[in-house]
Amino acid sequence: MQELSDKLKAPLTDLLLSIADDKLMLGHGASDWTGLAPILEEDIAFSAISQEEIAHAAALYEVVGTMHGRSADAVAFGREPSAYRCAELTSLGDDFDWSRAIVRQLFCDHFDLLRFERLARSLLKSVAALSKRIGAEEATHVEHADVWLIRLGRGGDESKTRAQAALNALSGAAAMLFEPTDGVDVLEREGIYPAGEGSLFDRWQEDVGRVVAEAGLTLEVVPSPADAVGGRRGRHGESFTGLLDEMCEVYRVEPEAAW
Amino acid sequence: MSAGVTSSEELRIDWKIQEDPDRMAAFQAHIDAKGLVEADDWMPHNYRVGMLRMAEHHANSEIVGALPEGEWITRAPSLRRKLALVAKVQDEVGHGQMLYRTSQDLGKSRDQMLRDLVTGKTRYHNVFNYPAPTWADVAMIQWLVDGAAILNQKSLAEGSYGPYVRTMKRINMEEAFHFKSGEDMVLTLMSGTKRQRQMAQEAFDRWWGPCLMFFGPPDRESTKTGPFMTWRIKTATNDTLREAYVDRFAPAARALGLNIHLARKNPDGLIAVKADGTPDKIEDPLIRLDESTGHWGFTQPDWDEFYRVIGGDGPCNKQRVALRRFSYEQGRWVRQAVMGCAGLPPSRN
Amino acid sequence: MSKIREQFQAGEGELASSPEADPKAYEVFIQLTRGQPHVHTGTVDAVDDKMALEYARKHYGRDQACVHMWVVAREAMISAGYGDDIIWPLTDQDYRLARGYAADVRRKWEQFRSKEDVDRYQKEDIKDAF
Repeated sequence: MQELSDKLKAPLTDLLLSIADDKLMLGHGASDWTGLAPILEEDIAFSAISQEEIAHAAALYEVVGTMHGRSADAVAFGREPSAYRCAELTSLGDDFDWSRAIVRQLFCDHFDLLRFERLARSLLKSVAALSKRIGAEEATHVEHADVWLIRLGRGGDESKTRAQAALNALSGAAAMLFEPTDGVDVLEREGIYPAGEGSLFDRWQEDVGRVVAEAGLTLEVVPSPADAVGGRRGRHGESFTGLLDEMCEVYRVEPEAAW
Repeated sequence: MSAGVTSSEELRIDWKIQEDPDRMAAFQAHIDAKGLVEADDWMPHNYRVGMLRMAEHHANSEIVGALPEGEWITRAPSLRRKLALVAKVQDEVGHGQMLYRTSQDLGKSRDQMLRDLVTGKTRYHNVFNYPAPTWADVAMIQWLVDGAAILNQKSLAEGSYGPYVRTMKRINMEEAFHFKSGEDMVLTLMSGTKRQRQMAQEAFDRWWGPCLMFFGPPDRESTKTGPFMTWRIKTATNDTLREAYVDRFAPAARALGLNIHLARKNPDGLIAVKADGTPDKIEDPLIRLDESTGHWGFTQPDWDEFYRVIGGDGPCNKQRVALRRFSYEQGRWVRQAVMGCAGLPPSRN
Repeated sequence: MSKIREQFQAGEGELASSPEADPKAYEVFIQLTRGQPHVHTGTVDAVDDKMALEYARKHYGRDQACVHMWVVAREAMISAGYGDDIIWPLTDQDYRLARGYAADVRRKWEQFRSKEDVDRYQKEDIKDAF
């Protein structure tokens, strides 16, 4: 990686962690469906997506680990809860309701695709190259979520009701995906995380709104106040800490040991 | 492609059925000449039903087999192990999907097979009725249980039904990954800390018995010469496979420093504890190489336990079927939604 | 273990719901590297083409590295062969295969040229002819 000034290192760490932690939590939640999904073929497909989410996270942890002289596993499993930068949405349980699992993916995948589009234009060549590769797979996740929402929205009364309920239930948490990580403005100015046309929020609303409309559903997401503090700055709820404890159960038995 | 056998009445084994003697002779000659039977071919009723039952049981086992390890996906202790475990459990589901398809083409709908599974009308492999209480159990399942499955499936790949044989070969290629990954986990634990080695030994104690039972009860004369053997639906006897298994795994376990124990189990599948607080187990005195035969000795597993567990009274029977049933019931509205929403064109082509 | 795998409510006895229809079967053919033929690798069940393609990609497209796939509804496939349905003719087909001529041609050449000359000349023959 190109030499980074100390001024940029901390904001970049936060930004990359916000993406990696989102993906780890999301992949973690999705992977729990393996063996239990509503259709066998979908079980395989959704499990493949969960693996990609975790693999994306692993690649980003590798970058962060290299910056800080730690292993990717130590970064993934060995931090205090307040050092995680994921948004609450990614750690919200789905109660084994397929519509919630799909809406959670839909919101996060569209958001990730936009982040990777920006990072793919980063002046940091290694980050740009990695983001291009991840972004290509992210596009397939987006398509998967889009098609499912459309199928659910158009799949009869019960399905439509459930899909709408899931959109309503998760719309509140969706707004906090956009909470800025510390120092993100510096990264934008320096061309490490170049801003695109329009705000992330507006573009996301447009992309997701198009799919929601095609599914015959509705969605209203109210932007969070600028000073709202959440997961991007280390403030987490019980859904996150519970998930983290479970994820680290074996790792913490002997953190120094190889498993 | 499938011949239209649909009602459950038609899916019963019935040895009183009189098949056309000329066709039977030609069918047997084809099989004796190592020929493969394809889904479109004429086949005796009992061959179809026997094959369907075997493929369906195998598919059920893959689907239920995804559950014990699935419990550990959310707790895997490294990114690589987490990815590997998700991929492994995903493979089991994939195997189930392929084997249900083989069964569907023999005449039973997938939905009916899933319904029969979750209402306890059909069975799955007994080994999945045991608990996996620690991470080391995941390692032992992938090494010992998948090792047993590979041995069994290699023999099934010598069978006579083409679609099943091809599926077996394909499944075995994926099992090779499961087995290597299992070996890697066991080797890592056994070269790790004292606590990790102890975890491994305890898990080994839990799985050794069920793995000896894996191949089924001791052979009776009838099973060695029955029609399922002459039709090559079954290709090796239970005892032959068990012997080959012990010959491979007993010396491997000992080389790793694992002791092979006879252990008393509680109804929950865990090793019983004596009054002094230590596990109720002794080393199997018969574990040694018999120079004259070249085979390893071993004490037969507790066959009473085997019949008790297969009869439904095992540590995890109810829990496994209930979770699978929950999945079926929860997924119903989703399946109905997609059936009602068929007709979306493919977007990338 | 995750909460849902421990705490769930499943029914008992017979299922309350009526049986469901299986979706359609689609056959999947994969190409391992560009330029190689597509070979049959498996089947997926799906309600429509879009779902079939997605499921084929995610299952068979990820079991082994491949570059292209064909997915076709089984009901669109027609087949022939086995038993009395003859595809390959029962009469001698040597007259339309290279191997039907190989020995004769070799013997005849050797009346005109030395073994070594014929060997050298036949090096250019197509070796993997039918």
